[in-house]
This record gives sequence, structure tokens and C-alpha cells, in this order.
Amino acid sequence: MKQITTLSFIGICMAFVVIALGAWTRLVDAGLGCPDWPGCYGFIVFPTNEAEIALAESRYPMFPYDINKAIPEVVHRYFAAALGLIAIFLVYFSFKNTKDRSIRAWSIFLLFFICCQGLFGYLTVSLKLLPIIVTTHLFGGFATLTLFYFLYLKSRNFEIFNQINIPNLKGIAGAAFVILLLQIFLGVWTSTNYASLACADFPTCQGSYLPEMDFKSGFNLNQEVGPNYLYGLLDNPARVAIHYSHRVTAILVTILFLILMSRLWFSNAAPLASTLGILLLTQITLGIINVVYVLPLYVAIAHNLVAACLLLALFTINYLAWKK
Amino acid sequence: MTLLKSYYQLCKPNVVYMMLICAFVGMLLAEESVRSFGYLFVALTGIALCSASAAAINQVIDRNTDASMTRTDQRPLPQGELSATHASLFAFVIGVIGALILYLYVNTLTMMLTIASLIGYAFIYTIYLKRATPQNIVIGGLAGAAPPLLGWASITNTIDPYALLLVLIIFVWTPPHFWALAIYRKDEYAKESIPMLPVTHGVIFTKLQIVLYTIILFIVSLLPYVVLMSGLIYLYSALILSSMFLYSSVKLYYSSDDEDAMKTFQFSIYYIFLIFLALLVDHFIILS
Repeated sequence: MKQITTLSFIGICMAFVVIALGAWTRLVDAGLGCPDWPGCYGFIVFPTNEAEIALAESRYPMFPYDINKAIPEVVHRYFAAALGLIAIFLVYFSFKNTKDRSIRAWSIFLLFFICCQGLFGYLTVSLKLLPIIVTTHLFGGFATLTLFYFLYLKSRNFEIFNQINIPNLKGIAGAAFVILLLQIFLGVWTSTNYASLACADFPTCQGSYLPEMDFKSGFNLNQEVGPNYLYGLLDNPARVAIHYSHRVTAILVTILFLILMSRLWFSNAAPLASTLGILLLTQITLGIINVVYVLPLYVAIAHNLVAACLLLALFTINYLAWKK
Repeated sequence: MTLLKSYYQLCKPNVVYMMLICAFVGMLLAEESVRSFGYLFVALTGIALCSASAAAINQVIDRNTDASMTRTDQRPLPQGELSATHASLFAFVIGVIGALILYLYVNTLTMMLTIASLIGYAFIYTIYLKRATPQNIVIGGLAGAAPPLLGWASITNTIDPYALLLVLIIFVWTPPHFWALAIYRKDEYAKESIPMLPVTHGVIFTKLQIVLYTIILFIVSLLPYVVLMSGLIYLYSALILSSMFLYSSVKLYYSSDDEDAMKTFQFSIYYIFLIFLALLVDHFIILS
């Protein structure tokens, strides 16, 4: 069981790294840094010297080579592959060292899930950053992280969690979880449709509290396959609609979280309440900085990582509320 | 009346007063002339309410631990004088009022710094650090060292390097101050499995750390003179006070009597008070 705990902890750390690298890839517009998959311009790593670059460009004349975009993409791929290796070890040790069938089942599911993530990584490239695919890929990343975390929770007995008894919070914890998932979707949709800077002012958007918006095309999940979606293809009102929704939902998330935090506080679960509060405050601050300071790279990556932390925090609260 | 007294005790008044003195000195050092005592009073009120809120939150979170330690079992929550709900609401309300006062009448920077130190002490220290590592009070000391910076920022609306130097003095002073007390109370900390340094690494090691930190403090306490912030009056005061502190901690190192730990702890309180008094006296004598 000790190996499961250690491996799943390494998996959690590694998943955070891979999520950060994925966000980095997206934010430096390097999603198509390599036009092929799994290689990069047909190379195992990426072309470095002039001869290799000439060969690369002759293979893919439609995609001029830019090493600054190939590096993030390739680094992301190899770190993600390492995550797969960790999952293989997890499956191995779950059969060798435990008799816990649910740990075995979840380990296998995790490995299968990471393989699907690889597939979606491939689709991201081959369908030229189709927003719904990129969105699914990022959600898959968050789910992978959560699965590692779930195995970690299952394999280790946390004394601090044993003292917490919150079955009465099932409803509010569940509701907060659902609205958080919606908010993460909206955040990812904002990113994959390049709508982060659609509103460059705060708290107003384009100088108004109710700007011109086009929800119908903004939330058309059935976008056409084929065109290159790098830098986004939506009209400005559609992007504003996406960005604006992310802001409004942030208010809803805050309200629900405040209710949940006060309930936790008075249920002798102050550590959970304060963790949630600190993360929420950080996340809102990062979100505002993103708008006001025109998407600084590290702030944008941090906004992504804190979202993942919030997901884990809410997962923990629900895990404790629903446990038997 | 007893209820009022309970709420008063909930704010850890002694700690808050000490913080206010440090903030007040920060304010006075920030400018050559005192702007208006009314303004200083308003700013101190805001800082006081937020510090009191942090103290109350700390007592709500730690009420069960407090109940089983003789150092803290007289606090109003373990005594059953106040309910956790009432104490929480009280902390919330005074915290919000304090932050609003700072926002409306002082400046946004001071408000944000004050809230950051509130979160640092009431949540990050109390909930995570305290039980996570023997370095708990070293890291958490940063929040407790903030008051001079808060006072300074309330006047200049900037984060001044001189103010950070005052923060550094309190930051380095905190470990020997707190560890002296922890040696005296180590059995109670051990019972509650709080990883204070004397519990995890033994009393001798802690005493050595106290001596080492006092040496660092000796050097740091001379910095205000070195960077031309203060003059000779301060230099001589700091030399005398730091020598006495060093003497006290070395004596503690060679002593086997726990009462000496209590003496070092008590001296450390006089020390920080007198150092800040010296800074103040020096500042106004140089000006006049």
C-alpha cells in the first residue's frame, strides 16, 4: 500500500507539471508547434540544426518551423508520457502489493484514461486545435490529476480527515462541485477560443456592464472540422459572450463557496473552509490580473493551476461528505 | 460586563497592544513631522481591529487544543464563556470593519497588507504551519512582524525598505522569543502533538538555536545605524540591549533550570519594546 501512496503522490505532482506545461503550450500558441504526432516534423525530439530544419520544412511546407513553438509541444508530450509510465507502475503495484479490488480497478481505469488523453493530444494536433477537442483534452488533464489524487486518498489514512464529519453538507458540496465544473468549462472555453482578452477592462467589459454579445455562436459546440483554429475564429461579440459568462459564473461560484465555507466553518471543518477561501481569493485575484495586465504568461498558467487546486479541494470536501 | 470582558480577552489584547506599538513606531518613523494624531488614531484603529479579528479566529480554530493547555485554558472559548458561533461572527464583523476603515480613511495598500497578515496568521499559521513543521513560528513570524510595515504604509502608501528593516528585526526576534516559551511549555505541546522545536529536536538543540538567532538579531539590530536610518543613540541602545539578550540566551544554554527559559522569554518582550522605543527617541532627537 505504501508504494501506491508514494506513486500516486508522484503522479499528483507530475500531473500538475503536465497541466502547467499544457497551459504553457496553449498560452504561447504552440499547440501546432509540431504538425504531426507522435513525432515532431518526423523527428523523435525536435529539429535543431539547419539540415534537420530544412528537412522538416520540406516535409511540412504548409507549417513553417519555429523552434520556440516546437519546444513547449515536445516537452509537454514527453512529460505526459512519463505520467503514463507512473500509471503503469501503479497498476503493477496494485496487483502485486494489495488485495484492494477498488484500488486495482481505479488504477487500470487511470491507465486507460491517460491513453485516451494521449489520443486527444493527437486529435488536438490533427484537427488543428478544434476548440471542443482542446477543451476535452484539458478536462481530461484535470480528471487525470483527480484520479491520482483519489488513489492517494484511498491508499492513505488521513487522521485529520477522520475527525471531520460532514454528511449534512452533501447537497451544498455537490452543488458547489457542479458549478465549479461549469466554471472550469467556461474558463477552458475562454482559453481555447482565444477570448481571454475579449474584455480588456474590469469590472466592466468593453466599457459596459452589458456589452454586445452573441451567445449562439459563442457556445456553438459543433464547430466545423477543418480550418486552423490557432488564435481563434469567432467574431468579437461571440468571444465577449464567452468571457462575460466566465465572469458572471465566477460570481455564482463565489456565492456558493461562501455558503459552503460558512457551513464547513461551523461543522468543525475550519481547515477545509480556510483552504477553500484562500484558493478562491487567489483565483479571483489572478483572474483580475489576467484581464487588467493583458494576460501575463505566469499569471495565466497560475490561474490554470489554482483552478486544478480548487477542483481537488472541492473533490476532497465531497469525498468526505459522501463517504460512508 | 463579564461578557464584554470575554470578548476583550478573545482579542488577545496584550499581543495586539504590542503590535500597535510597533505599528505606531513605523508611522512616526515614516515622516519627519507627525501629520495629524487623528489620522494616526484612525489608522491604528483599523490595524487593531484586523489584528484582534485574527486573534479571535485563531482562538476559534484552536479552541479544543487551547482547552488542554494550562497556558491557554483560561481563554474565553475553552471556559465556555462564548460560543464558537458568536466568536466567529464577532471576528468576522470586526475584521470587516477594520478593513473598511483602512480602505476608506487610510489607503488600499495598507488594507491589503493588513488583510494579508491576517490571513497569514489566522489561517496559514494556525491551520497549516503550526502542525506541519518545527519551523512553524519562524515562517509564521512573518505575519507577526508586519505591524511596522503596516504603520509605515499607512503614512507613505509605499513599501519602504526602512520599514522592511523593522520587519526584519521582529522576524529574527520571533524564534528566540517563542522558543524560550516553548521550552518552558514543551510538555504541553508534546501532549497536543504540536511539533514545536523542543518537542521534535530536544531542549539542547532549541537552546543552541536561540543563541544562534540572538547572534543574528544582534547583527540585524545594528542595521538601522549602518543604513543611516538611525543615529548614535540608537546604536548604543541596540548594542546594550542586544548584548543583554545574548547574555540571557547564553545563560539559558548553560542552565538546566526551566525557569531561566521563562526569564529569557520575559526579557525578549522588554527587548523588542525598548528597541522600538530607542528607534523613536533617536528619530526625534536627531530631528530636533
